[in-house]
Amino acid sequence: MNRNIKIVGILGLAGYILLASVHGYCADTVTYRLKWLFNASVAGDLYADARGVFARHGLQVSVKEGSPEHDAIKELELGYAQFGAASADQIIRAVSMESPIVVIAQLFQKNPLQWVYRSAKLTIQSPVDFKGKTIGVTYGGNDETILRALMAKFGLARDSVNLYSVRYDYTPFYEGKVDLWPVYINAQGVIIRQKLATAGEKTAFFSPEAFGIRFVANSVITSRKLLKENPDMVNRFRQALIEGWQEAMAPENTEKTITVLRQFDKDTPEATAREQLTETRPLVQPGSPKDVGQINVTAWKQTEDIMLNQKLISGPVHVTRILKGNLKTD
Amino acid sequence: MLHKRLQQFVLVYAAGVLSLILMKYLLHLSDYVIPGPLEIWRTALSVFVRYLRNVADTLWIAVVGHLISILLAFAIGIAGRRASWIGSLIHAAAYNIQAYPMVAVAPIIFILLGDGIIARLLIAVMICYFPLLLSVISILSEPVDSVEHFYEATGRMNWRLQMRIRAYENIHKLTTVIVGSATMAMVGTIVAEFVAADAGIGYSIRIALYQSDLSKILAALFLIGISTSLYLTALEWLGNVIQRKCQA
Repeated sequence: MNRNIKIVGILGLAGYILLASVHGYCADTVTYRLKWLFNASVAGDLYADARGVFARHGLQVSVKEGSPEHDAIKELELGYAQFGAASADQIIRAVSMESPIVVIAQLFQKNPLQWVYRSAKLTIQSPVDFKGKTIGVTYGGNDETILRALMAKFGLARDSVNLYSVRYDYTPFYEGKVDLWPVYINAQGVIIRQKLATAGEKTAFFSPEAFGIRFVANSVITSRKLLKENPDMVNRFRQALIEGWQEAMAPENTEKTITVLRQFDKDTPEATAREQLTETRPLVQPGSPKDVGQINVTAWKQTEDIMLNQKLISGPVHVTRILKGNLKTD
Repeated sequence: MLHKRLQQFVLVYAAGVLSLILMKYLLHLSDYVIPGPLEIWRTALSVFVRYLRNVADTLWIAVVGHLISILLAFAIGIAGRRASWIGSLIHAAAYNIQAYPMVAVAPIIFILLGDGIIARLLIAVMICYFPLLLSVISILSEPVDSVEHFYEATGRMNWRLQMRIRAYENIHKLTTVIVGSATMAMVGTIVAEFVAADAGIGYSIRIALYQSDLSKILAALFLIGISTSLYLTALEWLGNVIQRKCQA
């Protein structure tokens, strides 16, 4: 009797291992390199992974954290990743250098990049109010490009504002040495707002988008080769990612999303993560769930124009030719 | 000496760039991943003057930081050479502080001291000083029995004499350690600039990294290599002069 139980147990285990390996073999295994560290800005990506949305579409995805040193575009070309997230300026710069990539989804419908300031000390009604202020910029970063575009649009001379080179440390802003500090409103923006609120100070955010600067942020890319050779897998990945984001952004799934976020990002306090998620929703899904992942052609064209005007690319790249997802214009 | 060192550096640098270009063409990589030779050349020409100024800015901080490190290492090394509790404490502190990653410590220094020259200098000193200190302690705590025995036996030994004997007998080792630590001073300054300063070649590399511009990074690496070679050669020459004077 005991012997029979052992045999059945061993056979069961062997069957399970076999099934598991066959399942693993059948699922397409890909690597997805994010643009930044695990936080609310990648909530949908993490949700698709942790809640089995990728698996539902027959994909086994290794979602890897990003950083300034990890450039998804380079990893695609070198074959270290099959999908990646990159900002539009990175993508346009890469395409201008003949990088064979395509955009399959746009994660942020609104650029999260804004400038935080103390609302009790400053009144910023329009960019004209920047005159004489000290504004933080990351030299070489897309915030510098956006600020320069804004200044050009509103006829502000370069010497009419004082630019301050920013890093990850917000001390110069806390100390009041800098009037406006660039942040992702759904990430550092929440942290700074909470910190200053604790000190009894009120904050406000300046959004370049409100003044006509449409500069696309994070988008999902893959290689032209993969799209050509395996369009089915690319479509399944895009679909899974969009579903992941839609589910993660649904208010009824808030607890599930927070659990996933906390699973990957243990350093951010839960209250902060909740606030970050609330700020992320209107950026990814400004209207209905159908908005998720849509590629805004108008905004992409404007992004290219801004980069051309600032001579960040040597010539037009005709960006529409690399946009391969659910396109929209406005 | 200078000629040979520069030649060797250019050879190593050229081999590195060539292997990158080879990789580019073998793997069909775009100019975004690895720029073509023409693009590297064009970029190098366009940033040369600006980067040269940046490297000069970095080099003078590194040289001053190195000098401070040498003075500190010798002063504290002499105090810490003995098997006393102070010596043991200095050893332990040196090992522990050396274990801290400078990228984590640098932002704290910049909060305390701002993003000016002092912060860059301090980081350069911190990176360069501790390995130097450990080497100096190790060299100066090694007795030269053949010479020291005589002074011990005649009761004429004091700590100044002991240090002079040990430094004289190990002048070659000390010179090598000082020359070797020069590269650490350069690395320390560049790390400081990369992490938080807004001047120097480390800062320029950071911006180039933001723009994913490998051509600029290659141009910066070339100038860092040349300037480091020049500084090392100058130190070696100085070391030889001192050794010759000691032997005379």
